[in-house]
Amino acid sequence: MTGYERVMRTFKREPVDTMPFFSGMGMVLLPAIKKLGYKFPEIHADAEKIAKSGVESARMFNLDSVVIPYDMCWESEALGNKVSYYEGSEDILYPTIPHKNWETLDQVNITQEDIETIMTKGRMPLIPKAIKMVKELAPDKALGCWQLGPFTMCGQTIELDKVLKGVFKEKKRIEEILDKFTDMIIEIGKALQAAGADFITLREMGAGADLLSPRTFKEIIQPRMIRIMDAWKSPKVFHLCGATDPIIGMMNECHADALSVDIKNNLLESRKKLGNDVLIFGNYDVFKLPCKAETTVEEAIQGIKTNIDGQVDAVWPGCDLWPDIKEENFRAMEQTCREYGKKPSPALGRI
Amino acid sequence: MRKKDEIIEDLKQTVINYDEEGCKKASQEYADAGYPALEGIMDGLAAGMQVVGELYEKNEYFVPEVLMCADALYAGLAILRPLVPKAAGGSKSQVVIGSIQGDVHDIGKNLVKMMFDVAGWEVYDLGRDVPLENFVKEQMRTDSEVVAMSAMMTTTMLGMKKVIKMIKEKNPNVMIMLGGAPVTKDVAKLFGADGYAESAGNAVAEGIKMIARLREYEAAKKAK
Repeated sequence: MTGYERVMRTFKREPVDTMPFFSGMGMVLLPAIKKLGYKFPEIHADAEKIAKSGVESARMFNLDSVVIPYDMCWESEALGNKVSYYEGSEDILYPTIPHKNWETLDQVNITQEDIETIMTKGRMPLIPKAIKMVKELAPDKALGCWQLGPFTMCGQTIELDKVLKGVFKEKKRIEEILDKFTDMIIEIGKALQAAGADFITLREMGAGADLLSPRTFKEIIQPRMIRIMDAWKSPKVFHLCGATDPIIGMMNECHADALSVDIKNNLLESRKKLGNDVLIFGNYDVFKLPCKAETTVEEAIQGIKTNIDGQVDAVWPGCDLWPDIKEENFRAMEQTCREYGKKPSPALGRI
Repeated sequence: MRKKDEIIEDLKQTVINYDEEGCKKASQEYADAGYPALEGIMDGLAAGMQVVGELYEKNEYFVPEVLMCADALYAGLAILRPLVPKAAGGSKSQVVIGSIQGDVHDIGKNLVKMMFDVAGWEVYDLGRDVPLENFVKEQMRTDSEVVAMSAMMTTTMLGMKKVIKMIKEKNPNVMIMLGGAPVTKDVAKLFGADGYAESAGNAVAEGIKMIARLREYEAAKKAK
């Protein structure tokens, strides 16, 4: 079974040969970048480099999916903000938006034209181009793309503290802005799917229960998640960072095909709450298992066994994979996933 | 004129209820009455923030509420801090604080900074997206006792390890505080840090606990 088949069957709840090992979030790995002779800052603004580094990362470590793009600044840049690529830095630094043009909620101005033409602005045209390249280079892998949720994307265009306080102080205005971002995210997701993305992950990273109350999640976040998910084709995954235990039930009401959680989630409790029909991914520690210098191969293997024992339906990281992985750990994690994951998972049978 | 304790209670409650205007008003009333400013800060504003930290830990308050409480506290602090006599709140202790390079988030950093402000420390705020070597340079320049760094993403957290190594090599006595969503106790220990806070709200609770530790530290320093 190819990675593509395994992933697509997973989303359809059709039996697979073994546990999928993949992600729908940032997954570009340094050994692959080095092999291609690229430098980290240069892989974010060149369709060919995006496609090749994504494919090579998946190939080197037998991942079932390729995931592009990598940074969180695309849409903010398309709306007029300047991106820092840290070109002179020796360290691995993801692009950021050092200064946001909109300083207050009143200044936010997203027009219908902005929404309709977003795929033509900034680096956005590179994504469909890279998607097509990946489909040609790796037809045996599932291609995942991701989008930030409206609340998190809002925090990429206005300072996050203003957005958070706005939830209380200027709720109506915040909701108007979130609706604009929701429309934009729907358009982008449709464009990614039209270009060939096999699945999309919606990442509302700034809306976990350690940042916002479950009540705010219900009132402000959930309706927009549902609107986005309903507008996109399947398969689609909903990911939240941070504390998700108090809101996992509400996450499951957002019409996604699978849920993804980070290390703070109590997997067994989530499974108990959601039952065996829901696809649950995530939770493994992206620093401790594949990156931490002191983590032995045996500890990495045990980490994946614990993750599988937590009743996930795929071994999928709790967040972006950090590029500078320890190769021996990550290879052992993939092999453990395949061997230890031969038995069925709660929502997914085996051939 | 109202009694000192009544106004102090107002200072506390206005912080808890994120009532920025109310806090300004109470602080001005307290200042006009000539009551000791440091007591108003510590027993009113900081005590209110302590309750906010507890409400956060009990999941009754979340980050938006904490941020609004912080705004109220700062409104009061702006009025009361200049009135603290140098000898009373005049700690010479200093801290270098910033968000690590690659990270443009600074909510947690600003909340921890607030705690140092409350405690009367000299704060050298490097801002966010701070190149690693700048932490080292600023610590050396100011001879600060504490360096506090935050990272909101795993992708930037690893830079902290390098900074700690560079600082500790030059000055092993510097206390290092780490904060941010990806920073666990395990990571803080592994990186050689002396303290950590895992989230913005948690930073408040940890910061409040730190005030006590910092005061002990200052007392020990004065005793030397």
